[in-house]
Amino acid sequence: MADAGISAIVEPSFWLGQPRTHVGTFEDYFLSFLGWERFRASQFGISHFCTLSINPKEANSPSIAQGVLDLLPRYLEKDGVVAVGEIGFDDQTDAEERLFAEQLKLAMEFELPVLIHTPHRDKKRGTARSLELVRRVGFPEQRVLIDHNNEETLPMVLETNCWAGHSIYPDTKMDELRMVALIQTYGSDRIIINSAADWGVSDPLKVPKTVEAMYEAGLDEKTIQTVVWDNPVAFFGQSERLDLDREPINQSQLWEGNSVLRGQDPVVES
Amino acid sequence: MVSRIESPLDRNIFGAAYAGARRRLGGEPVVLDAQEQAALKGTGLLSLNGHSLDEFFRIALLVRASECLPPEDHSAFISELYIRGDNFERQALLRGLTYLPDPEQFLSTAVEACRTSVQLIFEAIACDNPYPLSYFPELNYNQMVLKALFIGSPLARLVGLEERITPELVRMAEDYATERQAAGRPVPEDIPMFITNDLGARNEAF
Repeated sequence: MADAGISAIVEPSFWLGQPRTHVGTFEDYFLSFLGWERFRASQFGISHFCTLSINPKEANSPSIAQGVLDLLPRYLEKDGVVAVGEIGFDDQTDAEERLFAEQLKLAMEFELPVLIHTPHRDKKRGTARSLELVRRVGFPEQRVLIDHNNEETLPMVLETNCWAGHSIYPDTKMDELRMVALIQTYGSDRIIINSAADWGVSDPLKVPKTVEAMYEAGLDEKTIQTVVWDNPVAFFGQSERLDLDREPINQSQLWEGNSVLRGQDPVVES
Repeated sequence: MVSRIESPLDRNIFGAAYAGARRRLGGEPVVLDAQEQAALKGTGLLSLNGHSLDEFFRIALLVRASECLPPEDHSAFISELYIRGDNFERQALLRGLTYLPDPEQFLSTAVEACRTSVQLIFEAIACDNPYPLSYFPELNYNQMVLKALFIGSPLARLVGLEERITPELVRMAEDYATERQAAGRPVPEDIPMFITNDLGARNEAF
């Protein structure tokens, strides 16, 4: 990722491919975001930030949802946490709506932006309901990033003051050429793109690949810079915790006694 | 083995029998002879003729275990067994829910199973299983249908789907079709069974 030009990432907390059954599993997950993941990224010259939440899918598990919600205040104040998320709707149940609203309130309390996941199923309705809830709770729209947009939901988001995220995937949510077409139609204002390295088929280099597609389509340098750098920096910068001055790489460092290296010579930048 | 499951239920004996069933018995289809069919008459298990042997055995174990547990423990018992099960254990459990007393008490487990990322588990509850038709509220039923479209499970395998088609479900299917069209992606083959001629025609043109 660093070789492809990625210098900072925001890793959102989400579902891991199968349900977690204990609150403690979430706590270890949050700690990995704040610990090993940050260290590992730094060892390759990438600044690592994260967003924390109980995600919409697991908000439906009564045995863990409240417990994770109760944990969040202990973690939201920590360095590297730049938003509350992903929150939002999955099946669009009452339980999801309650946890969604509770976490919007937490974000207000901790003065953080929010990253809102939009559902795979019944997506337009889910997006409309998310925008309604933001309004009802009185959460400032300029601190909201509605993610996984498509051709139908993007105009709905741009009618508000929320930001619009697009997850570029190998086959599903959004691809490079569709994204180029959306930017040609709607411009770059409040538009953000992202990629994934998640539990299913995904490609963490989709942002640089979309940059490539934007150049090939003749989009100008300024538009591209706005979409892949200025916008996400402006959005997550609202947390006032997005410190992009990174330390020089020093792969001779250890984290809790562990190195990222497996026999390679350590890279040490001066 | 089933006869070793006695009241009060020994969870370790039960758990070992349930977990090891596939390895010990294999998954060949059960073919009950006339005598066995007569012995099972009136138990409900007769309709499992033709299921795989491990699944037949696991469901028989579930039925027996429920006879050995006080009714108020059934829901927690099934929920725990689901959480700690591997894919095939979960599959058998989901297919066995309607053979147990008061199946509606297992609704949260059945709905949770629809949130899986494993097609085998999703289809165990959604396909060829009368449970959702009988017990799922509209919201969960509709989400299940959309997920079946999404991951390519044939709608023909959803028991009683025609009875559960509502204006809301039609709207959701139509929205899904237009979303796919706007994205330049193929519309699932099963969608036209829901939607109006107008969109069906456009779908064909696409």
